[in-house]
Amino acid sequence: MAKLKIEPMKQADRIINYWKKEKFVVACIVMFGLTFNGSIILGPIYQGKLIDAIVRGDSLSAVGKLAAIYVALIGMIQFLRYFKRFYIRRFANNTSATMRLMLYNNIMHKSTEELDNENSGNLMTRAIGDVDLCVEGMRKFTTEIFDTGVLMASYLISLLVYDIKITVLSILFIPGAMVLAEKLKNVIYKYTIAFRSKSSYITGITYDAIENAMLYRASGMEAQNRVAYNTELEDLQSKAIKANIFENSMQPIYNVIAMLGVISVIYLGGTKVIDGGWTIGQFSTYLIMFAAMAQKASKAAKLFNSVQKSQVSWKRIQPYLAEYRSKDRTLNIDVNNTRLSVEKLGFCYPSGKERIIENIGFQGEQGEIIGVTGAIASGKSTLGLALLGLYPYMGSIQIDGRELQDYSEYERSRMISFMGHKPELLSDTLYNNITLGNERSAQEIGSVLRDVCFDTDLKEMPDGVNTLVGNGGIRLSGGQQARIALARTLINKSKIIILDDPFSAVDMETEEKIIANLKSSYQMSLIILISHRLTIFPQITRILLIHNDLIHNDKTVESGTHEELMKSSELYAEIFNLQCTAGGADDE
Amino acid sequence: MMNNRLVKESIANVIKKNISIIGLLVFVVGGAVILSLIPPQILKNIIDNSLVPRKRDGLRTLAVAYMAVLLLIGIFDFMKEAVLTVLGQKITKEIRLKMMEKLEKINAVFFSANESGTVVSRFTNDVDAVSSMFTGGIVGMIIDCFKIIGIVVSIWVFSGKLGMVSLISLPVIYGITRLFQRRMLTAQIDNRSLVGKVNNHLAESLKNIRMIKSYSKEDYMEENYAGLLLRNFQTVEKVNFYDSIFSPIIQLTRAAVIAVIVILSSKQPSYLGISLGMVAASIELISNLFAPIETLGMELQNIQQAFSGIHRVNEFYHEPEDDPKNSQLKAEAIVPRREEVSVSFHDLTFHYDEGTDVLQSINLRIHPGEKATFVGRTGVGKSTLFKLIMGILKPAKGSITINGIDVYTIPNSEKRKLFGFVDQSFHMIKGTVAEQISLQDKSITRGQIQNALDFVGLADYVASLENGLDTQVNGDSLFSQGQKQLLSIARAIVTNPPILLLDEITAGLDSITEEKIVSVLQKAGDTYTILSISHRLSTMIASDTVVILENGKVKNSGSPEMLLQNDDWYRSHIRLEKLTWDEVDLGMKLI
Repeated sequence: MAKLKIEPMKQADRIINYWKKEKFVVACIVMFGLTFNGSIILGPIYQGKLIDAIVRGDSLSAVGKLAAIYVALIGMIQFLRYFKRFYIRRFANNTSATMRLMLYNNIMHKSTEELDNENSGNLMTRAIGDVDLCVEGMRKFTTEIFDTGVLMASYLISLLVYDIKITVLSILFIPGAMVLAEKLKNVIYKYTIAFRSKSSYITGITYDAIENAMLYRASGMEAQNRVAYNTELEDLQSKAIKANIFENSMQPIYNVIAMLGVISVIYLGGTKVIDGGWTIGQFSTYLIMFAAMAQKASKAAKLFNSVQKSQVSWKRIQPYLAEYRSKDRTLNIDVNNTRLSVEKLGFCYPSGKERIIENIGFQGEQGEIIGVTGAIASGKSTLGLALLGLYPYMGSIQIDGRELQDYSEYERSRMISFMGHKPELLSDTLYNNITLGNERSAQEIGSVLRDVCFDTDLKEMPDGVNTLVGNGGIRLSGGQQARIALARTLINKSKIIILDDPFSAVDMETEEKIIANLKSSYQMSLIILISHRLTIFPQITRILLIHNDLIHNDKTVESGTHEELMKSSELYAEIFNLQCTAGGADDE
Repeated sequence: MMNNRLVKESIANVIKKNISIIGLLVFVVGGAVILSLIPPQILKNIIDNSLVPRKRDGLRTLAVAYMAVLLLIGIFDFMKEAVLTVLGQKITKEIRLKMMEKLEKINAVFFSANESGTVVSRFTNDVDAVSSMFTGGIVGMIIDCFKIIGIVVSIWVFSGKLGMVSLISLPVIYGITRLFQRRMLTAQIDNRSLVGKVNNHLAESLKNIRMIKSYSKEDYMEENYAGLLLRNFQTVEKVNFYDSIFSPIIQLTRAAVIAVIVILSSKQPSYLGISLGMVAASIELISNLFAPIETLGMELQNIQQAFSGIHRVNEFYHEPEDDPKNSQLKAEAIVPRREEVSVSFHDLTFHYDEGTDVLQSINLRIHPGEKATFVGRTGVGKSTLFKLIMGILKPAKGSITINGIDVYTIPNSEKRKLFGFVDQSFHMIKGTVAEQISLQDKSITRGQIQNALDFVGLADYVASLENGLDTQVNGDSLFSQGQKQLLSIARAIVTNPPILLLDEITAGLDSITEEKIVSVLQKAGDTYTILSISHRLSTMIASDTVVILENGKVKNSGSPEMLLQNDDWYRSHIRLEKLTWDEVDLGMKLI
C-alpha cells in the first residue's frame, strides 16, 4: 500500500537522488519493465501461430487450445504491464510529493529579507507548474528506458531471428524518423516559446483592458484598443497554428517515414513465404512486430519534447531544493520576569536607505501596557516590527538583559507575540487559527475568547470553535477576524505582546472591554499597544508619542502617562480632545 | 437556445468565413477514414492472391501499394490535424474578439462587481475550453463514428456473421471503456479538489509568512502541508490505478476477440466460411476498432466538461449593456467656449443594488470656472459620483447635464475632449512613457504630450530617461509615487478638456510631493472647471465650494470659510488633518 508518510530527503538538488530514494519502487519498475517488454513479442508470435493453425486446418480442439494459450499469454503480459505502469506512476507520485515538500520547507525557511525579494507568483509557478512538468518528464524518461529501449531491443532481436536480411533492409528508415524528430525538437521549441510568450502577452493586454476599463472608457479609447487587440489576436493565431501543427500534427509523418521499410518486408517476406521459408503466420508475426516498432519510433518526438520541457523546469526549481531545514528548538529564556529596555533604536527596511525610526528609547516590564502613537508615517508600526526582531536593527533592544538579536528565532517567537494590521487568518477552524497546532483545553480557549469579547459571537456559531473561517477568514466579519487574530496573539500569554492597531475594526465599547481584560488577565506580560486612537490611552500605563516631521526634521519621542502628556504635549492634548469631540459630534 | 448565442454565433461565423477550409476538412476527414480501411484489404489480397496460391506476380505492386496507402494516410492525418488546429484557433480568436466587443458595451457596474482576474479567465481558459471542445470534441467524435462505421462495414463485406460479431463487441468494448473512464473521472475530480487545497495552502503560507515566522510555526504549517500532500498522494494513487489497469484490460479484450474470430474461422466448424486473407484482415480491422471507441469516450467527457466553459462565456455575453449613445453629439458643440461650461445635478439618485441608494436626490449646480470639492467618509459614494458625471454609470433617477446635455447620452469617444480624469492611483498601461499620456490615442500629437509634461513639470525627468518619451515602462521602478500622479495629471490635461475631475489624487503621498501636485493644479485653476474629491480637507486645492456628503446626501455645502464657522465636523477634521493624524480610520470610527 501507499506509504503513510511523506518525508524529506537529503541532497534534493541532485535529480538522480529521486530514483535512488525510491529503491523498492524502482526495483519493481525494473523487474516488471524488463519482464513485460521482454515477453511482449509472444503476442505477435502466437497470433502468427493461430493463423498457421487455420492454414493447416487443425482440429477445433487444437485451435481452441492454442487460442486459450494465446489469451492466457496476453493476460500474463498485460498483468506485468499493469504493474510496470502502476509502479512508474507511483514513482512519479512519490517524487512529486517529496519535491513539493522540500520546496515548501525551503521557501518557509528563507529569511524575511529573502522572501521580500521573491515574487510570490513566481514561487507559486515553481512549486506547482514546474514540479508537475519536471516530474512528468522524469516519469516519461523512466517509462521510455523500458518501453523504447528494452522493447525496441526485444523486437529487433526477434526480427533478426526471423530474418537478418529483411530486418537490416527494412529498419533502415526507423532511425531516420527518430533523427528527424530529434532535429525538429529545437524548431518546435522555438515555435512553442514564441506562441507561449505571445499568449501571455495577450493575457496581459486582456488584463490591462479589463483592469483599466474605466480609464479607457472615460477616455473613449475602447474602440481603438479593440482594433489593436484584433491585430494582436491575428498574430497569436498564426503563432498558435505554427506551434500546434509542429508539436501535435507531425506524428503521422514520422510514422510514414519509419514505415517506409514495409515495402521490403512485404515483398521480401512474401517471397520467402512463396519459397517456403516462412509460414503465413510467421509473415504476419513479422509484419505486426515491424509495425509496432515503427509506431514506437514515431512517438519518440513526444518523448524528446517532454524531456526537454522537464529539463527547463528542473533548472528553475533546483535552486529551491537546498537541504531540509528545521528550527533550533533549544530554549533559554526567563519565563517569569520580563524587562524590556530599548536604547537608541534605529531601523530601516533592507530595501530602503532612509531610516524610518531613529533614536528611540524606553523601558518596560511585565504588567505594563505601553501605548505607542504618532502621526501618519511616524514609524509607529515600524517600531513594532523592529521589536519583533525579524529584521536587523540599529541600537539596542534588550529583553531581560540580553540583546534581542542574540536570541534564536525560536526563542524570540516564544517570548514575543505580534499582531499586525492584517488578521492573517488561515483557511482552517477557529480553534486551529488560535492555537496554531498547540493543544489547548476548552477552558483556555474559552477564556481567551472571553478576553477578546468573542464569546457572544461564538454562541451564534453552530460548530463552535470548529467553525471554518474560510479563505483568509472571509466567512467572518472584519471585527471578528481582528478579534480571532488577537486571541491567537494572547493565548500564549507571551512575555511581550505587541499589538499594532488591533481595534481598527472593533467598536469603542468592545475596545474598552478588551483593554480591561488585558489589564486583569495578562499581568505577566508586557503589552505594547500601537494606535492612533487615543481614547483608551487614559487607562494604560505609559505612552510614547513619536514625532517624525520630515520638513522640520523633528524625530523626537515624548513619553509619560496620559495625564502627564495632556499637560506636557500640546499635540497630544489637542488630538485627544479633537478625537473625543469629532467622535462625539457624529455619534448620533 | 438563446443560451448558446455567443459560442454558436462565433462558430457559425468562422464556418461561414472559412467555407473553403471546412470543405477541405470534410475532404480530408472523409479521405482519412476511407484510406484507413484500405491496408487490411491489401493485406487480404497479399495473402489470398500471392501467399496462399504461392504466386510471385503482383507481390511487388501490392507491397508498393501498401506503402503508398500508408503514405497517403500519413498525409491525410497530418492535414486533418493541421486543418483542425487552424479552425480551432480561428474560433478562439472569433470568440475573444466578440467578447472584447461586448466588454466595450458592458455596463460599468460589471467592473466593480467582478475581479479582473476572473474576467480574464473567461477570455483565456474558458475560450480555450470551448474551442478545444469543438475541434477535439465534436469534430473528433464525428470522425470516430465514421471510423467505427467504416470498420464494421468492411468486416461485414467479408462475412455477415463476422460483421455481427464485431457489432456485438462494440457495446461491450464501449461499456468497459466508459466504466473505467467514469471511475477515473470521479477519482480525478477528488484529486483536483485536493490539488486546489495543496496550492491554496502554499499561497496562504506565502501571504501570511510574517505571522508564521513570528510564531515559529514553519513546522506546523509544513505538517499541515505534508498532510495535504499525503491525501493528494492517495487520490493520485487511485487515479493511477485506473490509469494503469485500463489499457491492459483493453488489450486483453482485444486478444479475446481475436481468439474468438480464429476459432470461428478454423477449418472444422468453418462457421464463417472466409478466406485466410479475410481472417488476417479482420483481425487487423478489429484491432483498429478499439482506438476510436476509446477516444469517443474521452471526447464525450471533454464535451461535458466544456459545457461549464460555454456557460460562463455565454453568461458574460448576457451581462447588461449600456444604453446606446447619441452619436450626433460632439464635444465642440456641447462646450463651444471653455469659459462657459456648467455642470448640473438634477435630483440625482443612484444605486448598485436595488434598495440601497448610494446617492440620493442630489441637486447641485457648478458654475463655469468654479472649483468644487466633495468631502465625506470613505464609502459615501464620491467616486461613484464622478463616474456619473462622466456618464459612465447610468443614474437610477434624475440626471447630470453639461450645458443642458445629459452626460449619459454623450458617446465615449467625445469624453476625453470634455473631461480630464485623475484617479486615486495611477493606472499604468503597457507601453512607453508617451503612451502613458496619450493612452495610444493616435490623434494626440507628440507636441501635445510634450506640452502636458511641461505643464506638470516632468519634462526634464522624462528627457533624462534612456529613450526619453519612448522609454518602455516596465514594472514599478521608473516613476516615484508622486511622479506617477503627475503623469496621471498630464494624461488628463493632454487633450485640454474644460473640466477636470480629481479623485483623491494626493492620497498616500508625502507632504512635499503633495505640495508640488497642488501647486501644479493651482496653475491649472484659471483655465479649468475643477471638481475634486478629498477626504483630506486641509490639503485640497483652494475651493470656491465644499460639498459635504453623508449617507448619499448633501449634508452641507458652501464656501470653506462659511463651513469653518457653522459645521462642527468640518472644523474638527480640518484641525486633525493639520496634525496629519490618521483621518481615514477616524472616519470609520464615526459609525
